[in-house]
Formats: sequence, C-alpha cells, structure tokens
Amino acid sequence: MTRRLPAQAGEVINRSTPLSFKWDGGNLSAFEGDTIASALLANDKRIVSRSMKYHRPRGYLTADFWDPNGFVQVGDDPNVRSGHRLVENGMTIDPQNVWPSLDYDMKAANGLVGRFLTAGFYYKTFIKPQAMWPVYEKVLARFAPGGTVDLDTPHGYHDKRYAHPDVVVAGGGPAGMAAAISAASLGARVMLVEHEHALGGHLRWGNAEDRRLLDELRGKVEGAGVEILTNSTVTGRYEDNWTAIVQRSHPIAVERLIKARAKVLVVAPGLIERPYVFTGNDKPGVMLSGAVRRLINMYAVKPGERAVVFTGNADGDAAIVDLERVGVTVARVVDARQGENIVVAKGGAKALDSVELSDGSVIEADLLVTAVGWTAPTSLLNMAGDRPVYHAGSARFYPSAEIHNVLATGGIAGDGDADQLLAHAEATGRLAANRAAAVAHRVQDLTARALPVQGPEPTWPEDDRQSLPRDSHPALFRSTTHGIVDYSEDVDSKDLVAAAKEGYDSVELLKRYTTATMGPSQGKLETVNTVAVLAEARGETIQEVGTTVWRPPYAPITLGALGGRVFEPVRVSSIQSWHEANGATPILAGAWVRPDHYGDPAAEVTNTRTNVGIIDVTPLGKLDLQGPDVPKLLNHLYTNKWSQLPVGSVRYGIMCAEDGVVLDDGVTGRLSDNRYLMTTTSSGAATIWEWAENWLQTEHPDWQVHVTPVTSGFTSINVAGPKSRALVSRLVDNVDLGPDAFDYMQVRSGTVAGVPNCFMWRIGFTGELSFELHVPSGHGLHVWTALLEMGNDLGVKPFGLEAQRIMRLEKGHFIVGQDTDGLTKAPSLGMNGLIKLDKDDFAGKPELAWAMEQSLPSLVAIQTTDPAEVPTEASQIVRAGTNEILGRITSSRMSPTLDRSICLGQVLPEAAPAGTELTIVMIDGRRITARVMEHQAHFDPEGQRLRG
Amino acid sequence: MVDVLRFESPVTTIYPTGETEDLTLGDLSEITKQIVRADSKTAAAEQLAVTFGSSRIDGDVIVLGQRPDEFLLVGTPTATASLVEGLDRSGHVSVIDHTHSRAMFRLTGSNASATLEKLCSVDWSEPMTPNGAVVSASLAKVGCDIARLDRGPDRSYLIACDRSFAQYLFDAIIDAGNEFDIAVVALAPTLV
Repeated sequence: MTRRLPAQAGEVINRSTPLSFKWDGGNLSAFEGDTIASALLANDKRIVSRSMKYHRPRGYLTADFWDPNGFVQVGDDPNVRSGHRLVENGMTIDPQNVWPSLDYDMKAANGLVGRFLTAGFYYKTFIKPQAMWPVYEKVLARFAPGGTVDLDTPHGYHDKRYAHPDVVVAGGGPAGMAAAISAASLGARVMLVEHEHALGGHLRWGNAEDRRLLDELRGKVEGAGVEILTNSTVTGRYEDNWTAIVQRSHPIAVERLIKARAKVLVVAPGLIERPYVFTGNDKPGVMLSGAVRRLINMYAVKPGERAVVFTGNADGDAAIVDLERVGVTVARVVDARQGENIVVAKGGAKALDSVELSDGSVIEADLLVTAVGWTAPTSLLNMAGDRPVYHAGSARFYPSAEIHNVLATGGIAGDGDADQLLAHAEATGRLAANRAAAVAHRVQDLTARALPVQGPEPTWPEDDRQSLPRDSHPALFRSTTHGIVDYSEDVDSKDLVAAAKEGYDSVELLKRYTTATMGPSQGKLETVNTVAVLAEARGETIQEVGTTVWRPPYAPITLGALGGRVFEPVRVSSIQSWHEANGATPILAGAWVRPDHYGDPAAEVTNTRTNVGIIDVTPLGKLDLQGPDVPKLLNHLYTNKWSQLPVGSVRYGIMCAEDGVVLDDGVTGRLSDNRYLMTTTSSGAATIWEWAENWLQTEHPDWQVHVTPVTSGFTSINVAGPKSRALVSRLVDNVDLGPDAFDYMQVRSGTVAGVPNCFMWRIGFTGELSFELHVPSGHGLHVWTALLEMGNDLGVKPFGLEAQRIMRLEKGHFIVGQDTDGLTKAPSLGMNGLIKLDKDDFAGKPELAWAMEQSLPSLVAIQTTDPAEVPTEASQIVRAGTNEILGRITSSRMSPTLDRSICLGQVLPEAAPAGTELTIVMIDGRRITARVMEHQAHFDPEGQRLRG
Repeated sequence: MVDVLRFESPVTTIYPTGETEDLTLGDLSEITKQIVRADSKTAAAEQLAVTFGSSRIDGDVIVLGQRPDEFLLVGTPTATASLVEGLDRSGHVSVIDHTHSRAMFRLTGSNASATLEKLCSVDWSEPMTPNGAVVSASLAKVGCDIARLDRGPDRSYLIACDRSFAQYLFDAIIDAGNEFDIAVVALAPTLV
C-alpha cells in the first residue's frame, strides 16, 4: 500500500485487521474500514473506470457514495459504488465495461469520433430505417455501460418493514444528530437515517474540534433512544410523509426497505460539493476538496505528491492544511476569491501532469483539488412540493416553501458557525417533536382502538426558528474553457450549449435530450452546473432558468429492495396434506392450491361414472345467511324466485350484474326458517360476498340479514357416482339417504363419520348421483380418509379438478368466467326460465328485460365431425369459406365416457339451431367442421343419472 | 364411528418447538371461536360490552369488538357456549361458530411488535394499539383480526385468519421472526 499514510487522528480504518482482495485480476491489500476507493488509492490505483461514452480513463472525483467514476463489479454484483462499499476479505473486484482491459480499452476509439457523438446522436442516427433497429440494438447493447448480471446468482434476502416514527431525520451529520437529540428529548420517537457508514457528516473528516464535536453528538444521540440507521438512505417522500428508507446495514438482509409513516420529516442532508467545469476536469488526479480530506483524514491515504488547489471557500483552505500536513507539496493555491482561475488540466489520457491557470502559467502537478461550492440536495423537499430558489450571493439554491410537516436544517437551510447551525438544528428538532405530538393527538383521537387522548388538540406549533445566515461565495460553475458537466453520462458543456442552440433550451428538455443529471448520481453533482451552463447559453440568470424537479428516488434503488419479501398468499383445504402425500398434481386456481389430478384424469372420470369418486371442493364459496329478510336478498341477487323455498330444499340460481351480464351462479339451501347456506363459484366467493354486502349496506340497510363467509369453515367433499349413496350411507347416522327421503336438490344436516354439524346436499357438477358433504374443517381430513377406507370395496377413488371439468362438460354445465365472458348476458345461457321478470326489482332486471327481446349469442353444445379433433379453447368459429367470426369454442375436452371430442361454444343466433354445421379454425390454421347438438348436455341429457 | 374426534390443525408443517424469552409463536386454532353479529343498539351488544376496536376478558372468554356490529368470542367451549346462551337474542342477532373457519395463532415476546412490523402496516405503538386493542389488518397480504392481549409483562398478540391461509401465514410469521430467533411453542387451546 504505497500511498498509505501513518495513523491519522480521525481515521476509520482498523490497522489491526488487514484484508486482501483482488482488483482486475491482481492481489491487493487493505484494512478493515477501507472503502474500495480508499483501498485502491492506497495501492496507487488511480484509474478505476472508463467513461460511459468515450471510455476515457477515470479516477476518483469525490471518493464517496456520489462518486460518478467509481462504479465497479464486485463478484456477481454489478454497478457497486466503490466510494461507499467497504472492502471485505477475499473480495473480487473488477472494472466494468472495458475491453480488453482497464488500461487498454479498445472502446476508447469512441473518443476519436467524439465530435460526432454529441447529444442526440443516437436518436438522430438510429431512427431510420426502422427495420434496421434490431441490428442497431444488438450493436449498441455491446456499448451499454454497467456491469454484468449473472442470471444464476442466488437470490439474496431482501426484507421489508413498516414503521411509524414521530420524526424521521434524513441525514446524520451534526445538524441531523442535533435535531434528533432535541426531538427525542421531548419524547418523540425518532428515526435518524444516514447514508454513510457512520454518523457525523463532514465532522468525520474534519479537524480536532470537529472530532470533539462529533464525539459529543454521537454520545448524546446514542443515549437519546433514537433509532439510528446508518448506511441507509431516505430515498423518497410521498403523500402524508410516507417515507421510503433503504437500509443496507441490516444483519440478516442484503437490504431492507422501510416504509415509514413519519409525522414530521426533518431534511438534513448537508451539502454536496460541486465539481468545476473546465477542460480536462475528468482526468485522473482531479479531485474535490472533500475527497482529499476524506482520503487523508478518514482513510490515511495520500492522494498525490504535488498539488494545485483551486479554492473559493474555507473547505478548500482546510484541504491545503491537510495536504501540507501529510507531506503533499502544494505547488500553487489558486484563490477564486482573488479572481484567479484554472483553465486546463493537462497531461496524457491517464494522468494529470500540469495545470494551466488563467494567467497563462502552467504548474506541474499530479493532483488538482477544486473547492468551488456546493449543491443543496433539496430532493426530499422537492418531493414535498418545494421548489428551490437560487441565491446569487452564496451561489447555491435554498428551499423556498414552508411545508408544515417537512422541515429543513443544516447546510441545506443556510450557513453560520457551528453554534448557529446547532441551535437551528435543535430548534428544528423541538419544532418537529411538537408538531409530531399535534399530529399524533389527532390520529389517536380518530382511531377507535387507540388510547383515549388527554386534553384538547394542541395548537399547531408555529415555526419561530431563527433563520440561518447565507455566507457569500463566488459563483464558480465553469471556467473559460469547456469540460465535463455530467461525468456519469459523459456530457460536456459544449453538448449543453449545442443542445440549447438546437432549441432544447428549457432545462427539463435539455435534461432529457442530453441525459445530463440522469445518471447514477441523480444530479447531485451535475444539476447546478447544468443550469449554470444553460443560463450562460441563454444569456439569462440561473434563477430565470430554474432547476429540474428532483423526484424519487433520492439515490438509485436496487430491484431487490423494491421487491422486498414477496408476499404471495396461497389457500389450501384441510385435505391438502393428503393430496400432497398421494401424488396429486397441483394447480393454482385463484389463490387456492388444488389437486388437478392424481395421475390419470380419464381414469378418474371412468371410475366416477362406473363406481364412485370423491373430490375436494372446499374452495366452493360458502356464505352463511341469517335473518328474516334473507329471501328478499336472494330475490334481489338471483334472477329467479326464492320466497317459497322450503326448509331442507336447495335451488339453483344465476346472478347478474346491473348490466345483465352473468356474475356468478350456484345453489342456496334453506337450513332452517331464518338460516340459509349459499354457495358460489370458487373464484366468485369474495365478489359475491362484497356484492351482497354492497346491496345490504347501501340500498337496503333496513333488511335484517347477516352475511358471513364460511368457505374455509367447511371442508367440502363431493361424493359422485352410481355407488355414492352406498358409500355415504356407511358414514352417515340418522339421515335417511333413500331417493324418496332425500331427493335431488335437497339438503340435510347430520353426523358424518362421527363428525356432527355436517351438511349434505343432493347436488353435483358431474352429472352423476352425488352427495356434497360440508364438514367442519377441523375434521375434514378425517371424513375424507373415512370415505376412502369405507368405500374401498366400492371402488372409491379420488378425482381432481380436471376430471370434474371433463364430466361437467360431458353434462353440459357451463362455468361462469370460462363459458361466459364480460359481455355474456343471462339469456345467452339458454336458461330463460330462470329469469323472472315478474319479480319485484332485482339486480340487472331492466337490462335483462331488454336482453330477453334481443337476438343474443347462445351457448351451445358442439361436436366435431372428426371425433378425434379437440379444438383449443378460444378457437374461432367462422362462416364457411370466410373469416367472418360466428363464435368461439369456450370449453373443449376429449370425453373418456363418449370416446370423442366434446365442446361448448358461444355462437351467433344464426348458428345456434341444432344441426347447424360450423367451421372451426384450429390453432395450426386448419379448418375443421363441427355440428351444433340438440341438447347442451353431451351425456345423459335427461338427467337420469344425477337424479339417482 | 370414532370415540374422540381430534381437531386437525390447519398448520401441518412441523417446526422444531422451543421456548425463548424473546419471541414465540403458537397455534391456537383449536380454541373455540364464536362470531356474534349484533348491531350496537341491540341488547346482545350491550351485554357483550365492548366497543369496536377493544376487548375485554370475561372469565375464560375474551370478547373482541372486531367490527362495528360484529364480536368474536374466543375461549373454552363451555365458557363461550355459556356466554352465547346468555345473550338476549332480541333484535337482529346471529351467532356462528367460527372455530373451523378461522385459524388462530399467538405471538408473544418482546419482539412481537417488531415481527408484526415486518408483515403489516399498522402502528403497534402503545398509544395506538394498547393492551386489549383489536385491529383488522392485512398481515402478509392476508386479512386478519389481531388482538393485543399481553401475557404479564410480555407483548402478546392473538392473530386470527381464514383457515385456508393458516399455513401460509404461519410460515410468513416464522420468516419475519427469524431475525429475533422466533421459536414455535405448543399451546393448549385456552387463553391462559
């Protein structure tokens, strides 16, 4: 480590823990606490990357989180900020987007044609001919910046958390710490967020007095009960102070996204040092004053041997002191306050060797330090509605608006000595705590479950903070020469001037056209210089030009952090463990995991038609209806009549929306005088519950009906097949299952396999004699296994969803949502007998009255001429010899029972009569013929089997 | 057919059981749960004597005001049955046994709130969710009814969800609690 200095008073490296790592294939050493940047510079690696467009060699400019030149590949992790990421032992680090190597990058040839690669080059060059774009895209992709992503990289654990602090303080510098301490001292719950690895801000690389203050503030904040999040960033502020915080320091997670609802947000991000625009300003060896001070004081790295310092402020002066203290020769101080200026950084492509000044002198140097002022990172304030205002005297932007629950403090709010800044921060903390208390009082008072509030709501605390002064500072943005403005995007000031001349002279247009400020540093280094260059080009002031709008995120976020832990709820029945243990192939139906089949759906059909089968139909929606006005509700929801349904009976019905479109179907049984059980389709359960509640709570609050979903409360098992009565009778006590006593479309309650409080329905979807058992779910598996054990000699087998779908299609039963769509009105289903227009008002009645008089598409049974042809569902039905669409196939399967293809389809009225020959366009383009059947049921149209 | 019917828990994954001071999760799904639907003006609502968002313990039963017109009674079978039988049914009142419809878990420990913070956007601070508070909220995207029912000095939450989501939610809570060394414990179906 040739550039490592002796121990420095404020260094953050741990010299007792040496580390080794690989850089660009070679072995290097570091100390615990080193960033990749400090470690590389300590090893005298001054070139770390190549620029995006021209592939010019780049060294560190800021050597911190915002360094635009420091993106590297760490293992399989691309685009790592090397000014921020700490070195770990054994780390493999490589430069990005260079070929064949960082030192000799062939893509640097772009620089030779650089004058043609101005802003808009890609838009203008590759827009035509359009057909060539795929070719262009492939070539351009090779020049895309950034690292490489290994698609086989294991997923990291990205966490998520919600928080409700009283105060979030964004920024852990001295002002942020003081504000947090002050707020916490008044009892506020405070979250202090700092994007660097430790609290302190600029105090961390300051002098002895800075370090003393840092120790004092750290001690206080750690003892104040403040939740401290270092290496974390407040990336966005949204409505009502919903703040997004990305925490990179969590022990169990790669990253954690914290969604914090802050009652008050304190914005204290400090200031970000701004680069200076001049020719050669991107040569390795040109650094900002903060960078050299961080390198010397925090990491004990000597940033050069012979320096020129261009300074316009006290930070530049402090850098001179630090440089001289560690033995760097300060060859020349160029004081902007005295009107002095730098013009060109000279040297070869890879290193600075001299600096030309405005007086014409040329000073030899391998390090050029600039201190020309700051950008106020007002992003979070912008997100709260603030538009910063430029102050010419201090050459920077300031917040302009008063936002009641967002407060600014620290350098972003003004200047002053340490006492003034701390006093402002403490006052901000107090104001934040008091305003948070007022918000908390209101929220608590509005929340039923909360503790009762004490006393009246506090009056809203007024902002009585003393404003901070604004120190004068020379306006230093661009020298007399042109240079890089946006290092990330390789945009220089000539590009901006040219774009302005082309007409892109609004700052928002200029930004999008040139991509200046759109790189990974999100304008933190570039925005003010961009605005200044544009103002110069337009001959206006910076205030007249204004700024772009900073939107979230404050700093780029990984997709992993945005995704967080993915919550994907799934539902299972109480029999799921049996299904899994017995080889069921699962299928996801909505949120439900269901057995699609147990190996051979056709065999499951045959067994059910021959012997007896059982299917888990727990997802069937079930609503418990209680109250004297249930018939009124049923009459309103269904299209048919319900007033006379006897106790013990079940009725089928169709529900329509107000436009007459079929919403759902199902059966409802009357269990007792005032109690009913409604079943819905599996996917319609939640919708119908909401539908019923909507009518009850808005149109008919006077009706006495309680609707309670009980879908999961009952494990539902359909026992189907000619031997189903024999099987069920072996498990049921005290219920006469005989065909006369328990007829089709009836319901009984009783004990099944020793389980009381079960319901049995004489219904089914398969067309077979069926008993649908609804068993309290805590005993569902017991009943399922009992059925299998007791029916072994009857040939009982389970069947899955696929077999059920085949059998219902054989029987001609439609499925809402499959055989209907968002336009299918009830008359299309061939069940006009169920639409009772002589009822009082019901949902969809006016539309249905109209629809009944129209010629609507019809749902019909269809069989192909060739019994082996099974059209894909959604295949078009067309007029023979044309492409005129007459309908579509809605369901199709090969029927094991009939040994042929069977379909349901929706067709126009002209094609609906039985015997009509249809033409179906197959998915491979072939056309086959088919015929409309007489009955909707392909099998047992008279229903003899299901009636038993 | 069978002498004793065993309640089949919706949580079938076997987690190693343990007991830590910091955080435990137990399955209470077997506990009796009765829903009483009664408008606040009914005599039954007055008898149950809790407001929306709050709860009270009545012997071996806890009465939760989980909706403006809906109460959840949780406890032993005899105690809940006794409470239900004593209700004045005048007006529009209905009772449904939800023992088999709703799963119930108990999350207890000093990090119980921190665990819920990873799954749910509700403010679990003392003023907003004091002991006895009842909350309806999405937990890992599952609609839940949650009651804070501390066990001595330890924070404790009863979490009820639709039975079909139980295994998913149990796993999600375990995942969230792993950073706090969450342990699964066996619980008897009582509030004690």
